[in-house]
Amino acid sequence: MADIIFEGRVYTCQPGESVLDALIRQGCEIASGCRAGVCQACVLLMDEQEIARGCQQGLSPAQQKLNHFFACQCRPDATVHVRRPANAGGRVSGILRCREQVAPDIYRLYVSAQMDYQPGQYVTIFKDQTTGRSYSLASHPEESSSGERLLELHIKQHESGALSPWLCHDLQPGESVSLLGPMGNCIYSANPQQPLLLAGIGTGLAPLLGVLKDALHHQHQASINVLVGATEPSGLYCTEQLLGLAAAHANLQVEFLIQNNRNNQALDPATREADIYQYCAENFPDLKGYGVYLCGAESFVGKMRKQCFLGGAAMADISTDAFIVFG
Amino acid sequence: MSLYDELGGAAAIDAAVDIFYRKVLADDRVSEFFDTTDMEAQHAKQKAFLTVALGGPNNYTGKDMREAHKHMNLNEGHFNAVAEDLIATLEELNVPQAKIDEVIAVVATTKNDVLNL
Ligand SMILES: Cc1cc2nc3c(=O)[nH]c(=O)nc-3n(C[C@H](O)[C@H](O)[C@H](O)COP(=O)(O)OP(=O)(O)OC[C@H]3O[C@@H](n4cnc5c(N)ncnc54)[C@H](O)[C@@H]3O)c2cc1C
Ligand code: FES
Repeated sequence: MADIIFEGRVYTCQPGESVLDALIRQGCEIASGCRAGVCQACVLLMDEQEIARGCQQGLSPAQQKLNHFFACQCRPDATVHVRRPANAGGRVSGILRCREQVAPDIYRLYVSAQMDYQPGQYVTIFKDQTTGRSYSLASHPEESSSGERLLELHIKQHESGALSPWLCHDLQPGESVSLLGPMGNCIYSANPQQPLLLAGIGTGLAPLLGVLKDALHHQHQASINVLVGATEPSGLYCTEQLLGLAAAHANLQVEFLIQNNRNNQALDPATREADIYQYCAENFPDLKGYGVYLCGAESFVGKMRKQCFLGGAAMADISTDAFIVFG
Repeated sequence: MSLYDELGGAAAIDAAVDIFYRKVLADDRVSEFFDTTDMEAQHAKQKAFLTVALGGPNNYTGKDMREAHKHMNLNEGHFNAVAEDLIATLEELNVPQAKIDEVIAVVATTKNDVLNL
């Protein structure tokens, strides 16, 4: 059994137990979120460089050099000396500027915060010292509203969730939130001559919109096809914004796909009832040479990634932002 | 010069891995072993395998091979299926038959470790 020396005290770590779980089990107040090495909420710092190296995948080169590591991914078999990084690992404070409801359970938030990011990356938002969840950025750093650069977030509310109901209701405009980031590499990096396929479901539209804005900002030359899926018509949002962009850019085509139009609602010409996997397979049978971006629920991203890869897209040309469930 | 270098080294190998990975994923005989949610990790494993098979720089040992396949209960049929997919990949890359034979000879030496015999 390994010991964890944390802030001068000795804690035990059971075989197979992560540093994060061991410290929390013994009463330490450590921030956590995904337990999957994605949100960076649990990042701590360790003296043992060798052991730290094994649990740094996804951290920036600077963080790696400082021996930061994912406490949720580290299962040590020797004694480790662990501390919290300075200034909470670089959390910044933001202020909620405004919030609007855009679909029955989806809200669009604008947060002012000092942060350099690339559209499509994500941040981890904290409700208190220890509870964090990740949300993707739909904004572009070149946009500003009354001279202020705002982060745009799309949040789907989960009834009994730890963070989303708080973000969608309790947090009030003018109040501050603590953010960590940016992180992630679902960003526009294609060559301008490469056709693009951007597909997302639900609030997966947030990072997709970020990537799309950046592609247009860089005057992407080849075709850009955007597929946005939702379970029901009411789940679609930002449709006018997307159709406006499509009208202004000849190489951009946007389509909305409804899985189940139960009430036979009238659909506008850009919207159809279709299974997104099938629609994609039929309309994009050969994805060789494409740059593909897939965003939203993990199950969607996983299934679609396989489909697009088998459809000819190179693995290195498929970028994903998978909303894994925290826990 | 190894086939790995002839094909263009590390950069070109990614394309070969894509072709090979697509083949095994579509091969009912073995797809279950390759079909995982973590496609990136699986892709990295295929890359390591192809690097070894094509004689590229690696420090893979028989022990690693053995360890990696330990709990998979693989049989000769699985091994041969993957070898066939590899041959088809090399054919698609226009590798001459003599070179393909060399690669398969290398792969054959890993058989006991892969099947944990
Ligand atoms: C990289 C990344 C980017 C993300 N970007 C966004 C984004 O832009 N917009 C956005 O809305 N969300 C995004 N998410 C998801 C987000 O981080 C949270 O998981 C989500 O908001 C739920 O958090 P919660 O605290 O409200 O619920 P939790 O307290 O985590 O969970 C409460 C309950 O809801 C269930 N639940 C949680 N998520 C789901 C789900 N997706 N489907 C079904 N049941 C669920 C849980 O099983 C649990 O029972 C992202 C996730 C990741 C990893
Ligand atoms: S990265 Fe460790 S809890 Fe999210």
